[in-house]
Amino acid sequence: MEALDKLGISWQLLLSQIVNFGLLMVILQQLLYKPVLNMLEQRKQRIAEGLEQADKASSAAAEAEAEKQGILEEARREAQEVRAQATRDAERIAQDVRSRADQEAQDIRMKAQADAEAQTAAVMADARKQIADLAITATEQILGRELANQEEQERFVADYLAQQNGSGS
Amino acid sequence: MFKNLLQAFVSNARLRNGTIGVIVLLVLSMVPFFNAPPPHVELAAEALLEHGPKWFTNGLLTTLIVDLIIILLAVFAVSRMKEIPGAWQNIVEMMVEGMWNLTQSIAGHGSANSRKFFPWVITIFIFVLVSNYIGLLPGFGSIGIYHSPAESHAQAELGSQLAMVGGEAVAVAAAAEEGKPVLVPLFRSPSADLNMTLALALISVFMTQFFGVQALGMRYFTKYFKNPFKDGMGAVVGIFELIAEISKIISFSFRLFGNVFAGEVVLLVMAFLVTFLLPSIFYGLELFIGFIQALVFMLLTLAFFSMATVSHDDHH
Repeated sequence: MEALDKLGISWQLLLSQIVNFGLLMVILQQLLYKPVLNMLEQRKQRIAEGLEQADKASSAAAEAEAEKQGILEEARREAQEVRAQATRDAERIAQDVRSRADQEAQDIRMKAQADAEAQTAAVMADARKQIADLAITATEQILGRELANQEEQERFVADYLAQQNGSGS
Repeated sequence: MFKNLLQAFVSNARLRNGTIGVIVLLVLSMVPFFNAPPPHVELAAEALLEHGPKWFTNGLLTTLIVDLIIILLAVFAVSRMKEIPGAWQNIVEMMVEGMWNLTQSIAGHGSANSRKFFPWVITIFIFVLVSNYIGLLPGFGSIGIYHSPAESHAQAELGSQLAMVGGEAVAVAAAAEEGKPVLVPLFRSPSADLNMTLALALISVFMTQFFGVQALGMRYFTKYFKNPFKDGMGAVVGIFELIAEISKIISFSFRLFGNVFAGEVVLLVMAFLVTFLLPSIFYGLELFIGFIQALVFMLLTLAFFSMATVSHDDHH
C-alpha cells in the first residue's frame, strides 16, 4: 500500500474520479449526445424529405412538360386541319365566284349580242325606211321634173347628192 | 553555385528572417537569464494547501476545471441548436457523429449495443482528450505554491529514487531541491494523475464484465472458469483470461498515465536543456500523442465491450 501511496493513489481520490466520470457521462448524455444525435437524425429526415420532394417536383415538372407537349401537338394538328379546311373552302368559294362570274359574263355577252342585233335590226329598218322615203322623194322629184338631157340629169343627181349630204347629216 | 544560393537566400525575405530568428533564439537560449529551472518531477498529484486536506490535490482541481470546460463547451454548442449549424455546433456535431459512426462500425450498425456503449466510450474520449490537452497549456507545472521542504520530505526521497533511474537531469533536479522550498504546481493534467487513469481503467474493465453478463448472463463467466475435468485445456486458458482481464486495468491506467506524464517531463527537460525552439518540436509531438492516447483508450474500451457481448462457446 505504501507503493500506491507513493504513486499518489488513494481510494478517496479514486472514488472521486469514478464518481466524476459517472456524473460527467450522465450530464453529457442529457446535454450533448442526445440533442446532437436527435438533431442529426432530424436533419437526416429533413434532407431525405427534401430530396423526396425534389424528386416529386421534378417528376411533376416532367409530367407538365409532357402535357404541354401534348396540348401543343393537339393545337398544331387542329390548326393544320383548320387551315386545310379554310383552303378547301376558299377554293370552293373561288370556284363558285369564278363560275358565277363566267355565267354573268356569258349573260352580259348574250344580252349585248341581242341588243346589238336588235339595234342593227332597228337601224336597218330605219335605213330601209329612209331609203324608201328617199327613193319615193327622188322618184317624185324625177317624176315632177322633166329630165331633158344628160347634162341636166347629172346636175340633178349632183344637186340631189349635195342636198342629201346637207340634210342627211 | 554557392554564390547563387547565397543570393537566393538573401533575396528571400522569409527564409532569411526565419533563419535569423532561429539563430537569435538559439543564442538567447544560452543566456543564463532565460534558462528554465530544473524540472520539478513529481510522480503523484500533490496536495495544494500545505496545511489543508490531503485529498485536495492539483490533479483534482484540474479535473474539476476539465469538467467545467467540457460542460461549458457542450452547453455552448447545444444551447442554440439550429437545423443549419453554426461553426461550433458543426464541429461538435462532427465529433459526436464521428464517434457515433465509429461505435457503430465496431458494435454493429443501429444495434442496441452501439446505443449502450456509446455514452461510455465517447465520454472517455472527450474527457481523456481534454485532460491530455489541458496539461499542455502554459502555466501547467510552472504556476504553483511554494511549500516548505519538510512537508515534502517523502517527495524529495522519491525524487532521489527517480534520480537513479531517470538520469542526469532528474538527479540535478533532486539535488537542487534539497533544503529549498518546493514548488507545488497549481494545475496538473488529470491524465498525469494515476487516480484518474486508474479510475477510467476500473470503469472500463468493470463495464466490460457488466455488459458481458448483461448479454450472456452467468454464461459469461465460463470464459474464465471452466470445469477442469471436462475441458482441462479450457480451464487453463480461462485462468489466463482472468489474468489478462486484471492486467488490463494496469495496462489501461499506466499506458495513459505514462504517455502523458512522460510527455510533460520531456517538455520540461527539453526546456531545461534548450530554452527555445527545442520544446516546440516536442510540443507538436505531445499534441499528437494526446489525441492518439484518447483514441486508443476509447477504441480499446469499445473493442473489449463488443468482445464481451459475444459468446465464445459458439464454435463448439
